[in-house]
Formats: sequence, structure tokens, C-alpha cells
Amino acid sequence: MVASPQATPEHEFETQDLLINVGPQHPSTHGVFRMVLTIDGEVVKDVVPYIGYLHRGAEKLCETMDFRQGIGFMDRTEYLAAHNAELSYVMAVEALAGLEVPERAQWIRTILCELNRLSSHFMFLGAFGIDVGVFGTPFIYAWREREAIIDLFEEISGDRMMYAYFRPGGLAWDVPLNFKERVREVLKSTRQGIRDFDELLTQNEIFRARTEGIGYISAEDAIDWGMSGPSIRASGVPLDVRRDEPYLKYAELDFDVIVGENGDVFDRYYCRMLEMHESVKIIEQCLERLQPGLIVPDKMPRMLRAAPGEVYIRTEAPRGEYGIYMVSKGGNRPYRLKVRSACLSNLQALRQMSVDQYIADAIIVLGSIDIVLSEVDR
Amino acid sequence: MTTQDLTGTIWAEVDRALAGVTVRAERGVLDVIVFIPRDEVVRGLRALKRDAGLSFDYLRCLTAVDNEAEGIDVVYHLYSTTKKHNLTVKTTLPNDDLTLDTATTVWRGANWLERETAEMFGVRFRGHPDPRTLLMPEDMDDTFPLRKSHPLAEIEVLQGEGMGYTEEDR
Amino acid sequence: MNNSLFGFEINVWFDGLARLGLIVGVMTVVAMGLIYGERKILARFQQRIGPQKTGPFGLLQSVADAIKLVGKEDLRPTAADPWTFELAPYFVFIPIFLGFVSLPFLLDVNIRLLELGLLYFIAVSSVNIVGWVMAGWGSDNRYAMIGGMRAAAQAISYELPLVLSLVVVAMLAGSLNLKDIVEGQAVVPYVVWLPLAFVIFFISTLAEMNRPPFDIPIGESEVVGGPFVEYSGIRWSMFMLGEYASLWILSTLTAAVFLGGYSWPFGEDLGKGYQLLLMGAKSGLYIFVVFWVRASIPRLRIDQLMAYSWKVLLPLSLAQVLVVGFVRVYELPDVVLTAAGILGLVALVSITGRAVASTRRLPGAARTMRSEAA
Repeated sequence: MVASPQATPEHEFETQDLLINVGPQHPSTHGVFRMVLTIDGEVVKDVVPYIGYLHRGAEKLCETMDFRQGIGFMDRTEYLAAHNAELSYVMAVEALAGLEVPERAQWIRTILCELNRLSSHFMFLGAFGIDVGVFGTPFIYAWREREAIIDLFEEISGDRMMYAYFRPGGLAWDVPLNFKERVREVLKSTRQGIRDFDELLTQNEIFRARTEGIGYISAEDAIDWGMSGPSIRASGVPLDVRRDEPYLKYAELDFDVIVGENGDVFDRYYCRMLEMHESVKIIEQCLERLQPGLIVPDKMPRMLRAAPGEVYIRTEAPRGEYGIYMVSKGGNRPYRLKVRSACLSNLQALRQMSVDQYIADAIIVLGSIDIVLSEVDR
Repeated sequence: MTTQDLTGTIWAEVDRALAGVTVRAERGVLDVIVFIPRDEVVRGLRALKRDAGLSFDYLRCLTAVDNEAEGIDVVYHLYSTTKKHNLTVKTTLPNDDLTLDTATTVWRGANWLERETAEMFGVRFRGHPDPRTLLMPEDMDDTFPLRKSHPLAEIEVLQGEGMGYTEEDR
Repeated sequence: MNNSLFGFEINVWFDGLARLGLIVGVMTVVAMGLIYGERKILARFQQRIGPQKTGPFGLLQSVADAIKLVGKEDLRPTAADPWTFELAPYFVFIPIFLGFVSLPFLLDVNIRLLELGLLYFIAVSSVNIVGWVMAGWGSDNRYAMIGGMRAAAQAISYELPLVLSLVVVAMLAGSLNLKDIVEGQAVVPYVVWLPLAFVIFFISTLAEMNRPPFDIPIGESEVVGGPFVEYSGIRWSMFMLGEYASLWILSTLTAAVFLGGYSWPFGEDLGKGYQLLLMGAKSGLYIFVVFWVRASIPRLRIDQLMAYSWKVLLPLSLAQVLVVGFVRVYELPDVVLTAAGILGLVALVSITGRAVASTRRLPGAARTMRSEAA
């Protein structure tokens, strides 16, 4: 316990602040995250986050593995959006090895990344529903939609979470023949699922009361902390790598960047909700333009060797900017690999967002930045 | 002091903003890489952030690369949310003196990134507001896992012959 | 007062004890049934099936759970205060149990028909909060302590609207005897005359039972079960049994006090079987709504909960008492009550929105999302 400052004449009696330890085993820490809250009654006075419980040294391990082996590790750093994580990695390898990715592979990559964004956001919505205290209903609704997407991924790549489907130069193999129909089928149920959610949570009076005006962070602070993804866009910063520095086929697609106004928990939630509509829009455009063709370059080198040099690849993963800084000194493996984790930077701002709020608010603020601890710790 | 052709990049602007700072540049795969000596790096970064034409207000990434005998490079990836351009800033630390001024005075977001770099490479950031370990255990302050000298022997044994880091690969 | 539970005269004390014993048995079965029902109903709300493997349709799931809980080790943290920790479940359970004494389940089927039955019920129903605070304090766990304090604050706040909405009923019935109150509704149940009191009563009972959206003391995502966080095995199951017993008590009370009990709409001459069906249907409706609310509504924050009680429910229930007193003294027609009640409901709904809005700590702007074309 921490003693409070000297009792002043206005405060007749001296009170003590209470430290409570939230996590690493706590239902709302979304993994193995720990924070120590200093509370005064119900009000949070200080937050000290602790991370590193899931640190597996992925960066170091990747230095000893050749480029193909590293793909599997990238899946495991960001297991809720593994396609997006792989994408940064293979793009870094392609940039260093000078590989051109065929058209068809790029379109399929775009579709899969957006589908993965949908599934990841569904996961967020479900978990957030539990954070604000609905007993399981939003979670199961979200799970139903996510399940459909993951089934599709399984049909394509053979795995439900760790796909290892993107390869330097293109894809591991082509998608099944009924790919377009299956994606359209999934999108249909997804659209219905988003609508269900709107009715279940967004239009709920208690939900609005719980989330509006909570966990405010200004645009300047968000930039200063290096936040990214929906968490910074909710503060009114139109920062989206897909639009600012288009990669894959995003330059040819028509979509909106969803920007919030208030920088509170509700905006962070609602930005994601609206972003899902945009993802559906993007996938539909991609399906229109997906043509038969090659999925790996014609002249794929038998042994992948990168030229000496370094590159910092950034892509827009569901939680924000997923960056890969890769240094090569020649050879078939990275000399140094750094994963720039969006959640790590978002998590830094947690303290500023949750101080002087209630305990229950600190929980939903943590939920609203949608952390994946394996990405934070790597 | 450029050694490569840097026309069509933001190098001209960077050079103007960094007047008074010893600086050298080269063209990376995507971004311009700027080398600043370590005593001037934070001053340079602040100048890059404050310059109205550049306004690098967003720190994308901060990390280090262990170049073994040549020392440790600390790498900053900068971005401007308004101007939408990128810059990589590098500074080299000699192996016998791994200290550097902290960049948290420029961007608060550098805090955890510097903590991670410090524990992984043993770089000491002068004036860091919170110099605890981030990912590693609290008492683990003499081991620097991401240095090349840190062994990863077990993994290489598991992967068998030819999978380890051999001399010709470098 | 009848002392003839088994059809012949016996000692008053023995009779009382026998009835209590009977209630304990029935209550255990009912609580298990409620747990099973809750799991099944929630499952259907969540597009699941619910328990299905244990026994036919999973009916024995609760029995299996009970056996498992009884068989578990009864853990006590080393630092916990032994007496407070181990007595807390009894302090939660026994007051709830005492609440059964005056309840009119069916015509002449009850433990004791007290003349001041309603007053007695109100008196004993709030004692169990002592057990919650004991559990919170005795566990020597900070989550538990926060939960216990929250429970105390919540119970005190919601006791007042609860009692005041029952006072209104007593004024209308002119009696505190629950049998008289049920008989007074032979033609029209009180929910028609007192819609506002019914709604306030319903909300307050949710808070009284710590059911969502007022499950703040046990908030799973914040304080991880609150006062119960350190309990296991038989003691934890006593808390659970108490929770479902109080659900049953309050559903029976709601049925008796507002929905006409066993009396309305067929009168008291029907057989016990029909009365049982009627009571079952009425309290079942209440229980179903409670489960429904649990499946669909997020949890309130503690300050919102307190503000709602003190700033909205309490003034409205006081106004209700005034209006009913006025109507009774000047002998106005009862329709005035209905009109006033509906007016009050409209006020409640509109104030609810505003009360919620006033807790925003930042100037609320219009929720429009700006889109920027790619």
C-alpha cells in the first residue's frame, strides 16, 4: 500500500490508496498482460503495465532460420491476423530479394488480408462485449461469424489460425476452384453479423453510457505515443497505411478510411465496426477483378537469397501498423529482424487513457485498444 | 556528403533541416537512410520533428542492429502524419561505449521501444524516464539476447547440419 | 393459522420445523431447476444448445454439478480471517431462507401466515448483505473487498426504492398480510393500478439479487467474482444456492404482490393444481425476463448505478407514495392511479436516457464518422 500525501485541512482523515494487481491471470486482460492499478475508492489513480510474459524471442529465432521458416513464426506473433503478419514478412523478403509478385497472387493476398481483418475485428467485438459485461451473447454472435471466415481459411490453407500461406514471391498454392462463391457466401453472413452487432451493442443505452467519453486520448497525444490503426483513427487522425502508402492492390481499390472524432472508447469500437463494412466493400471489388493467372513468379529462384541491405515494410494490420524491419547481409536468412508491434505502441498510451477513470473503465479502455499479447511480447 | 544519387527524395529538405549536424545519407530500398553521429542524433531528430517542411511527428519504430565488430546501430524510423513521408535515421555506437541520449524527449512513444532496445542490446539511454526492463525479467540486466554474441546453440543443434549460421552465409 | 400440514394437529414448533424442512428440500430442487433453466435459456439466446449430455435433455446437469461442488476441497486462504470467512456463506444463506417464512405460495400453503408478512419479508431480505461484506472482508483479497463494498453500497441504494414500491402496494391493499394482498387482487392485479411501482420493484429486485445489469459486485470482467473469488466447493455452492433461492423468493413475491398470485384471474376456488400452475406461470415469466436481461444487457458502472437509484428511482417512488396516499384519502377512482403510473413510467423512461447522458464526462458531440475517400 502507498501512503497518501500529508492530510490537508480539507481532508479530515488520511486515506490510503490501494494497489490491485490485474493479471496475468485475469479474465479481461486478453492474454497474459498484467497491470497494477493504484485505486482510491473506485477511481484509478495510476496504472503500471507489465508485459513480457509471452516473450519467445521470435526476432532472435528468425535470425537463425531461412526466409521460408520465418513465415511460421510471424503467424505466431499475431495469431488473430496471421495473414496480415505474414504479409509484412514476405513483402520484406520480396523487397530484399527483388521478387515481383504476380497479379493474381496480389489480389488473393488482398482478399485474405481483408477477410482476416474481418475475423480479427469480430474477435474484438466479442471480447469487448464481455468486457462491458454482457454475459457471452455478443461473444457467441461474433464467434459464429468468425468461424465462417476461419472455415474458409482452413479450406484455402489447411490451417485455422497459423496459415503460412503467403510465401516470398506469391502464395503456397492456388485457392480452391469455388473460392469466389465461398467468399461471397461468407460475406453474406458477415454483413448480417455486423448488422446483428449494431443492434445488440451500438444501440444499447447502457453500452453507450459505459463507453462514451471514457478513455479519451487527443490526436496529438495519440501521434506522440505512436499509436496506430483504429485506435489512432478514433482520435481523428486519418492514418492508414493502406491509403497513405498503398501496397498490394489497395491503390486500385475504392474504400473509405474511417475516422472518429472523440477519441474515446466508443469511437474506437465504432471505428472498427464501420471498418468492417469497408473491408466487405474491398473484398467485393477484389472478387470482381480476380483473374486466373500465376501465383508465383515464372522464374522463382530455387534458393532464396537476399541482397545485402535493409528495408522497413509497414502494412495495415487490424490492430494498426505491423512493421517488419529486416536487415540482410546476403544469404538465405535475415541478419536482423525487428517486428514493429502496433499493440506495443498502443499499449503505451494505456496509462494516459485510464488514469482518473473508474476501475470498470480501465478494463474497457484496455479492451478497446484490442491488444494481442503475443504480438506485444513477440 | 552524399555518395549516391538522391534526387527525387526528401534528402534536400532533410539536409536543409539538419544544418549544423554532421550527416551522411544513402538510398535504402524504400526510404532514405540518414546517418547521424550519436552525440548529435537527438538534436537532429528534434530538428526533423520541428521543421515545418518535414514535421516528422510520428516515430514508427526504434530498434538496434548488432554489427559485431563495427558496433551497434540504433535505427529510428520516422514518419510524418501530415506530409506522409518516411525517413530512416541511423546512428552507430562503438562497442566500448554503448550510451546514447534518449529520444523520449522528442516522442513519448520512444519510451518502451528504448526500454526494449536497452535490455536486448545493452544500449544505455541517458535520461530515460523509466529505465526498467520491458520484456525480460527484472533482474536480467547482464544478458543481451539480441546481440550476435548471445548463443542460440540449442536451436542450431535441433536443426541439424547446414542450418546453422555458417561463415559463407555472411 | 393452521397447524395441520399433514392433516392432523401437531405441536406448533414441530409443525414449523417440518414445514421449514420441506421448504429446504423443495428449494434445493427448485434452485437446481433454475440453474438448469438458466443455462438452457441463455444457451438458446446465444445460439447454443446448453447442457444435453447428462441425463435426458441434460436434466441431471445441475445434480452432477452439485455433487462435484460438494466433493471439492473447501479451501481457505492462509491469510483469510477464519471466522468471518467461514461464517459468511451462512449469513448470506440464512436470511434468504428466512424470507420463505411468510411467502404465500398457494392458498393456505405457506410456513407461517404472518400479519405483518410484508414488513417481515422486507426486514429479513436485506440482512444477507452482512454476509456479502463478511465474505469480501474475510477473504483478505482486494478484489473480494472491492466487491463486498460495492455490494453494500448497492444494497443500501436499492433497498429504498424496493421498499417504497412495496409500501404503495400495502397502502392499496390496506394490509401487510400477504394473504390479504393476494385476495385484494382477485379481480384486478395491482400491476394494472401500479405500473410504475411494478417497474421500479422489478429494477430494484435485479439490483437486490445482483443480477445483470446490476451484477457490479460480482462483475466477472472487473473484480473476478467479487466476494466469492476465494470460495470453493460447498461454501461457494451455498452462495449459488442462495442466489437462486432469492430468485425464486422474489419471483414468488412479485407474482403474489403485483400479478395477483394464486388468486387472479380464476379466483381462489380452483384446486391446488391450478393454483400451482398459475403461480408457476407468473413467477416463471418473471424469471424468464431476468434471464433475458442477463443475456442482452451490459453491466452498469458503479457511479451510474448509484446515480440511477438516488436520482431517478427514489424520487419517483416517493412521488408514487404521495399520489397513492392522495387517491386513497380523497377516495378517487383507481383509474387515476393507472394514469399517474403510466405518466410516471414515461417520466422514468425519459429520465433514464437523460441520467445516462449526464454521466458523460466530456462534451458529447454528434456521433458522425468522417470518411475520407482513398
